[in-house]
Amino acid sequence: MTTKLIPAERFSMQELTELYNQTRVDYLVPMPMNADRLAEYVHDFDIDLTHSCVARAADGQPLGLSMLGVRREKAWITRLGVLPASRRTGAGSAMMDFMLTGAASLGLRETDLEVIKNNTPAHNLFLRKGFVETREYLVMRRAPHPITEPIQGNVAWLKFDEALDVLQSYPEHITWINAYESMRNTPDFEGLKIELRNGGTGWLVYRNTKYTLRSTLSHLIIHTENGDPNEVGMQLLLNLHNRYLHHDTYAENIHKNDPHLSTFQALGYFTNFSRIEMRRPF
Amino acid sequence: MAKILYIEDIQDNITLVEKIVTSRGHEFLYAKSAEQGLELAFSSTPDLILLDLGLPDADGQTLSVWLKGDPALANIPIIVLTAWPEEVVQHTVEAYNLNGYLCKPFSMQALLKIINEALGTKAL
Repeated sequence: MTTKLIPAERFSMQELTELYNQTRVDYLVPMPMNADRLAEYVHDFDIDLTHSCVARAADGQPLGLSMLGVRREKAWITRLGVLPASRRTGAGSAMMDFMLTGAASLGLRETDLEVIKNNTPAHNLFLRKGFVETREYLVMRRAPHPITEPIQGNVAWLKFDEALDVLQSYPEHITWINAYESMRNTPDFEGLKIELRNGGTGWLVYRNTKYTLRSTLSHLIIHTENGDPNEVGMQLLLNLHNRYLHHDTYAENIHKNDPHLSTFQALGYFTNFSRIEMRRPF
Repeated sequence: MAKILYIEDIQDNITLVEKIVTSRGHEFLYAKSAEQGLELAFSSTPDLILLDLGLPDADGQTLSVWLKGDPALANIPIIVLTAWPEEVVQHTVEAYNLNGYLCKPFSMQALLKIINEALGTKAL
């Protein structure tokens, strides 16, 4: 099948949203969006619509969509999807080539992406395009419930700039969506620092997203500076959830070997699905 | 007969569930987003909510927290209708204190059975 690739900037956000939702209708983990959310996504994650694309058949029928994030020397491929009836036609491969060529033309050093674990067709496509697996991450949820554990520690709540400062000091790799550059683009980024009596110290940063009627917590990153990660992490999370007792929480891209993982689980977080991060150097 | 609110963004699914629900004489309402669903729940106080987990603004888990968090809506049973993997749905229903689930695709009989169970009725 002949695939025509058109820069995504030529489409309205509504058109891109409708196409994106059609590509995800039978997805392993359905994640539809509306135009406002997609516009936020484009803004927050530095999506370059010039180098993102819509795939169409020769007769003009839409086949799929893919987006490219661009930051300094790095690119990030996201939202790649092909309509169910148009899969195995080469549209996904053609969109990948469009974006990788675009990234190369911008002089970028490497390209990252994440694929949902067990999405074998997409995973195989990325392997064929030269990507290699780097890390595995968990996407976890926690429903609000009463805190029964004792809460300790001297806590300082961090406003936007303070939360950004501590995130910038994080020594471990962070995926694109939780990175400093992403949080810098969002108005709802906050955090807290803690000092325990036994000398343990650490911080937790997160987004506190306000919808029209309610709020949720997401994009959590925990770091223990001194002491036992289980103890420090537990008190950071207890203080957070005690402050926001009724908030639903979505912890996205927590490394599967994160030292605070057992603490998340002890406080009622459960895994929704896993993602494999992949990288392709130029 | 009961008033049933279905919160789901895909029109084909709405049409299918509407046919099944109204065939048994229930009143059928629907919303295509979490915020519309919340507003409709407040304004109509349904007897039962059927909830998709993948919604375009906030997802179904988050919406269930909002619904359960309001005293006027907290006791309305919520049944999840979703294409998510069954193991994840089981965890979700348990963690979010929901009343049951059906994984898509489902049969008319299965939907009516779970609706009847949630409404506490036997032969609608």
